[in-house]
Amino acid sequence: MARPYEDQTIDGNTTRFLREAAESPFDFHSVSTQAAGDERLKKAVNNATMRQYTGRQLQLLELPDADKLRTLAGDIKQHALENLDYYLEQLRQNVEKNGGQVHFAATGEDAKRIVMKIAMENHCRSIIKSKSMVSEEVNLAHALEDAGLDVVETDLGEFIVQVSHDKPSHIVAPIIHKDRASIAKVFSEYFHSPYNDDPQSLTAQARVHLREKFRRADLGMTGGNFLIAQTGQVCVVENEGNARQSMTTPRVLISMVGIEKVLPRLSDLSVMLKLLARSATGQVMTVYTSVFGGVRTAGEKDGPEQFHLILVDNGRTEILASEYRETLRCIRCGACLNACPVYRKIGGHAYGNVYSGPIGALITPLFEGLHDYKDLPQASSLCGACYEACPVKINIPEHLVRMRRDIVRHKFNGRIERLIYRLWGWGLRFPFLYRWIGRLQKFDLRRRARGSGWIQSLPKISAGWTQVRDMPAPAKRTFHQVWKDRPTDPHDSN
Amino acid sequence: MAQPSNEPSLSVIDRVRRALGRTEPIGAPINPPPVIDEPITRLVQSDIGLGELFARRAEENKMIVHRVYPEELSPTLVRLLMDRNCRRLALPDSPLLRKLNVIDNLRGAGLDASTWDQMSLDEVYDCDAGVTDVFAAVAETGSLVIRPTPQHGRALSLVPLVHVAIVQPLDLVADLVDLFDNATREGNRHGLTIISGPSKTSDIEMNLVTGVHGPCAVGVLLLQ
Repeated sequence: MARPYEDQTIDGNTTRFLREAAESPFDFHSVSTQAAGDERLKKAVNNATMRQYTGRQLQLLELPDADKLRTLAGDIKQHALENLDYYLEQLRQNVEKNGGQVHFAATGEDAKRIVMKIAMENHCRSIIKSKSMVSEEVNLAHALEDAGLDVVETDLGEFIVQVSHDKPSHIVAPIIHKDRASIAKVFSEYFHSPYNDDPQSLTAQARVHLREKFRRADLGMTGGNFLIAQTGQVCVVENEGNARQSMTTPRVLISMVGIEKVLPRLSDLSVMLKLLARSATGQVMTVYTSVFGGVRTAGEKDGPEQFHLILVDNGRTEILASEYRETLRCIRCGACLNACPVYRKIGGHAYGNVYSGPIGALITPLFEGLHDYKDLPQASSLCGACYEACPVKINIPEHLVRMRRDIVRHKFNGRIERLIYRLWGWGLRFPFLYRWIGRLQKFDLRRRARGSGWIQSLPKISAGWTQVRDMPAPAKRTFHQVWKDRPTDPHDSN
Repeated sequence: MAQPSNEPSLSVIDRVRRALGRTEPIGAPINPPPVIDEPITRLVQSDIGLGELFARRAEENKMIVHRVYPEELSPTLVRLLMDRNCRRLALPDSPLLRKLNVIDNLRGAGLDASTWDQMSLDEVYDCDAGVTDVFAAVAETGSLVIRPTPQHGRALSLVPLVHVAIVQPLDLVADLVDLFDNATREGNRHGLTIISGPSKTSDIEMNLVTGVHGPCAVGVLLLQ
């Protein structure tokens, strides 16, 4: 049921999750029901995702053969994963050759500890941090704040997330769940300024504030879209210029990246970059694509004096060893979110974790444990739109089915559900019994439709099916009957 | 499932190796990396008409493009900067800009132009515009490519509100494929930044706003 929202702003409050407070196991049903009932949130998310989705489709037309290019991109990522030990070693050697240091972090806690240690050792107080999914995954900004460091998210969307104590709800567009009024409200409180909801003015306000931060920062942080083993470098794409700020002014630079981001060669970027921005936002290229690494060379007056690359495992090696290895190809473009009819209706917060949408439904259970997130693999109609959109061809629907199998295997599904399927399986072995039950069901359903052709409500266990829509009544004659009595084809009999 | 390591002593690379079913390091990849197939990767086939294509694409990227002959360069540049109230300028210490007499001409027009070798990083924050040459320009995407060096600081094309780049025909490459092939050949130690328009965001209700943390206007003077 839609509630009146006249005097409210859209800020995803209905579905806000805080990881610390999140219920375990995560209650997807309750959160997604709330989200789907929030008409204005739904509209905001739907508009934005549809725009990126159509933008993507238009831009892919420009490629000589988008399908083959996606296959190639997937093959390159898969090759890198099959040889990940080799390429990580090569990457480490080349980063060190460029004067940088490589740190491996087995867990999120390790990753945070390493950042903290680097900040302390270098007496860094002021940190500018650009957008990175892995830092969200390990909850880095909070840890740094708790340690008393001045850390500011410099991507506009992430800055808004930070000052409103929210969470990003889309891999690429973090505040897709907020409208301008809610941002204006937060800004007027944060900056003690008059309310102004013009996007241009809001952006200018953030720009002025963050510019001083850039100027004074002594530690810059970035994530990484790709790691280049061949040159020991990181590739970061962005539109705002804040990641470039991280690599320009501060004397210390830390890039925190997942180990699965490695590409063998610099030239692999020509394949990846042609797909990444097109798939993510429908752009040909993001405004800035930086390939960097190592420390400033002799005579340089900007760029980092120290470069640290933190390579994060945090569960990735377990995925690498499993049947779900292919999911590590993901380049975090968000195309599957934009394509997904479920995501478009509920937004990102309803998935209960940093990674949302189809890819989140898959990797959140892998990262956080299937038992606590067993509803997520069900959050899909298996329509395949995500697979079709994926620039590295991760077969998301197939993996979701596989994960549903795991749920059954581990008996994470309910007792009653297991009983029903057992009975069904048993019934299937006796065709006579099966048809007889089918006939009984047909009779019951037609009675409930009362000649209208539509069933408005079903009892008990099947009630969910008719909760938000009517169900068409079954036809008078079953398929088996129609098939048996079909007119014989004269061409066939002769 | 994905719990922290049950053997914390094992290094991450060792765990990767074990996940891939190996016990010993491999001296080379177990299979060769996929061939980057030109017909499906390359979008721009020919080296003819690159200037035309680059200019069109750069304009699509919302850059202000002027195609100029060398003698028109300085007047056009001065007009571009004056129109945007740019007085204090930062430039790299570049042989091209010296050859074209850019600095003298800017100063002659009454603008306060400093080169990177004479200024500090902090001073760039007080400049109105950065005027630079480029490492390359990509016709396929209408992009400028900047390479940081001791003579050409990272801040010049990032920090001031306006960035104007001077592109020579020689700088043009057809496709990203060519850019990365060239960069691979010379090692890419200094890295590079590909610029495809003014800094922008669509974070607030998908409204496009230019000039977030980088320049809000990018001008290109393409020499004929």
